Amino acid sequence: MSGYVDDPGVCESMQEELTELALATLSGRSRSEVLDHVKSCPRCSTTLEQLADVTDTLLLLSPEVEPPLGFESRLAAKLKEPRGEAERVTRLRRLRRTSLLLAAAAVLALLGFGLTSLVGSGGGNSPVQSASAGHATANLTSDGHVVGQATISGGQPAWMYMTVNGVDWSGTVKCQATLAGGKVETVGVFNLSNGSGDWGAPLTSPAGDVRSARLVSPNGTVLASARFPA
Amino acid sequence: MVRRRRDPRDDSVSDEVLLAGIAVGDEQAGLAFVRRYQGRLYGLALRIVGDAALAEDVAQEAFIRIIRHAEVFDERRGSVTTWALTITRNLAIDAIRVRRSIPTDPDDRLFLELMSTERLPEDVADRGDALDRARTALAGLPVEQRRAVVLAAMYGRSATEIAESEQIPVGTAKGRIRMGMAKLRDAVVIEESP
Repeated sequence: MSGYVDDPGVCESMQEELTELALATLSGRSRSEVLDHVKSCPRCSTTLEQLADVTDTLLLLSPEVEPPLGFESRLAAKLKEPRGEAERVTRLRRLRRTSLLLAAAAVLALLGFGLTSLVGSGGGNSPVQSASAGHATANLTSDGHVVGQATISGGQPAWMYMTVNGVDWSGTVKCQATLAGGKVETVGVFNLSNGSGDWGAPLTSPAGDVRSARLVSPNGTVLASARFPA
Repeated sequence: MVRRRRDPRDDSVSDEVLLAGIAVGDEQAGLAFVRRYQGRLYGLALRIVGDAALAEDVAQEAFIRIIRHAEVFDERRGSVTTWALTITRNLAIDAIRVRRSIPTDPDDRLFLELMSTERLPEDVADRGDALDRARTALAGLPVEQRRAVVLAAMYGRSATEIAESEQIPVGTAKGRIRMGMAKLRDAVVIEESP
């Protein structure tokens, strides 16, 4: 989206979206459009930077509160756990408490980050591509744009994790996996907020049978899909 | 590289140095970072989620992400403090979205807490004046603009969601956010210019 440079009318029409972008509340395609404009417009780029600075300042206004006794040791214990175990424990705790608060564990698993712990397990961060054997990751795309990633983790049962950011949809979505032979398995029904969400859910089929994954709206529209390497 | 033993409470070590230490697996750096930031991250999480147990989960997830992503921190894009707080804010917003716990009156609880004049020493050094100006400007906003800004900035509510919860047109919600943020920008940013 070019041609916006020095066009005050276009800049003015984008001020509300620019503000929402700085607040990180702008979703999907609107965000892409504003970002495209900002790249070619120094004035709006400056405005965005200033508004983002305001957002940061508001976060700084929140006063500190000492966490409960044992916070450090519980954090150290989480960091000591093998990655999979830490995620599993976190997932179970959250499932017990809120039914489905899997976002962070799923994202950590999805990113495949190694442990760099407070307690000295050492090592640096691993890039996405170095996820351990038994994992397959593919980009989720929508209209040719990457809008997230899907990962299948081998094991009994296998799990599917997704992180979505930038789908033009808010509300309930169905996650479906297409298996070898064409059978479609519904992995779960989840919620996207402002086009974004992270989650994980177990599969009933073996990881190796999954060929692709897709997000489907309640009216049957395919919002995004990912194809795993054969 | 020669590493000296570091006192976890040594405040003379910069955040950036601590993160660099964390990235190479320095336990003392990690411990110092957690001790330096636990009150801030837990405090922010608690303000947003309003539940001590969930706030602890959020703050701990934030530390885990920071520790595991330490090497990707880019100081050209902002301070460690704002990076850490933003990660915490986003996790807290995710948590309240899952719970569907929509704040009923952010103007009462969170706003009053934001008006706290408590400051950390590094705040004073970094941007103490800007914090004071932001606090003053926030207090001076019309209540409906302040509510919209707080709902967006602290609770991650979009204009559409604010319109629904406040029972106003989306355009009105967008306008309130924009006007409120513009006034805060004038107070925080413009006055910083020489």
